[in-house]
Amino acid sequence: MTEASYPQCRIVPLRMLKPETAERLLNSIVKVCGIRRMLVNGPRLPATVPYGPARGKPNPHSARRVITVGDTEVELQVQVGQVVLEVEDRGVIEEVRSVCDEFFTEIPYTLQEGIFMKTKPSLVDYAKYGPGADESVIGLTDPGKKGGLVILQGLK
Amino acid sequence: MAYTPQYGPGTSTVAENRRKQMNPNNKLEKVRDVTDEDVVLILGHRAPGAAYPTAHPPLAEAGEPDCPIRKIVTPTEGAKAGDRVRYIQFADSMFNAPSQPYQRTYSYSYRFRGIDPGTLSGRQIVECRERDLEAYSKFLLETEMFDPARCSVRGATVHGHSLRLAEDGMMFDMLQRCLLTGDGNVKYVKNQIGEPLDREVNVGKPMDEGWLKAHSTIFHSLVGVPYRDDQEYVEYVQRIHSLRTKYGFMPKE
Repeated sequence: MTEASYPQCRIVPLRMLKPETAERLLNSIVKVCGIRRMLVNGPRLPATVPYGPARGKPNPHSARRVITVGDTEVELQVQVGQVVLEVEDRGVIEEVRSVCDEFFTEIPYTLQEGIFMKTKPSLVDYAKYGPGADESVIGLTDPGKKGGLVILQGLK
Repeated sequence: MAYTPQYGPGTSTVAENRRKQMNPNNKLEKVRDVTDEDVVLILGHRAPGAAYPTAHPPLAEAGEPDCPIRKIVTPTEGAKAGDRVRYIQFADSMFNAPSQPYQRTYSYSYRFRGIDPGTLSGRQIVECRERDLEAYSKFLLETEMFDPARCSVRGATVHGHSLRLAEDGMMFDMLQRCLLTGDGNVKYVKNQIGEPLDREVNVGKPMDEGWLKAHSTIFHSLVGVPYRDDQEYVEYVQRIHSLRTKYGFMPKE
């Protein structure tokens, strides 16, 4: 769970990113030291058609694929719309800003500071994780889904 | 004096474009070619070349009752043949898509016969007899009311009209029914409900930003014409709002 002492920021590009661009962006961000937690957000890309007469049929989508961040493989389940970061101190946000300034040359972006991650476990979190939940997990994954969070490795 | 419809208020290009689409006497520019078979594939209601399934016998054989209204109203081709009622649904991006749900309903009502439109914030569905639907769909896909990137035929799972565009300028589609291919054309790979097609259906190249802005029918303060810039439109809406609010008090202007 978020401590008030850890600043957060979010990167919002003007366009939603392709997996290749998202992969490059994440790989340049994770090189910055001092990032505690990271959340990739956007509209979901379901594996099967969720509504309508074709409900339940496979939904092939070129944006739902595995990307490699550091040495870790991450399965993208969303079209990347924004990246939320929790960092050690505000100096890290300025480093992230400079990385983004270099990265976003074609698409404008905004970097906002604020609280963007869940600060308290919700009822659904309680139902899934119980009373003794690891606070660092809360808000990072959808508690209704089976998949968990990914720990990025190979950054050194 | 004969009544001449004005179709809508406003002095901006958006208002003018809305009037152009609504006015059935204005011939809309044809900007792409989509074959009849392509339309049938995108709609997904029947196999191309298959006979039209019927909901009732043709009217000529049905032995209609003696009814004055039936004498006044000429049935459409689909109604004459007894076709089923089927639908097409469009989702239109707020980023300068050439048509918008309410605008579509107004335009269809002026231009088409025998339709039942349903209007929502981000999507617009229209139901009618199948062979009429195919003719109307062809018109809607080929003319300036459609842009391959900003408008999309989506029977279900329509989310995307209010989202940011993708990097390649396409409106977000959870089911990725159409793709921007390497040759610059947008091709449908699934029908409107998300079932894969046997072959790709080409609906042409996306229009450029300049064209989209010039043909937009939505006010947008960031990427297009801001609503407040059209003083006449604002006055009209304020007048309607005022009259509706005072209606119970028998307003007299």
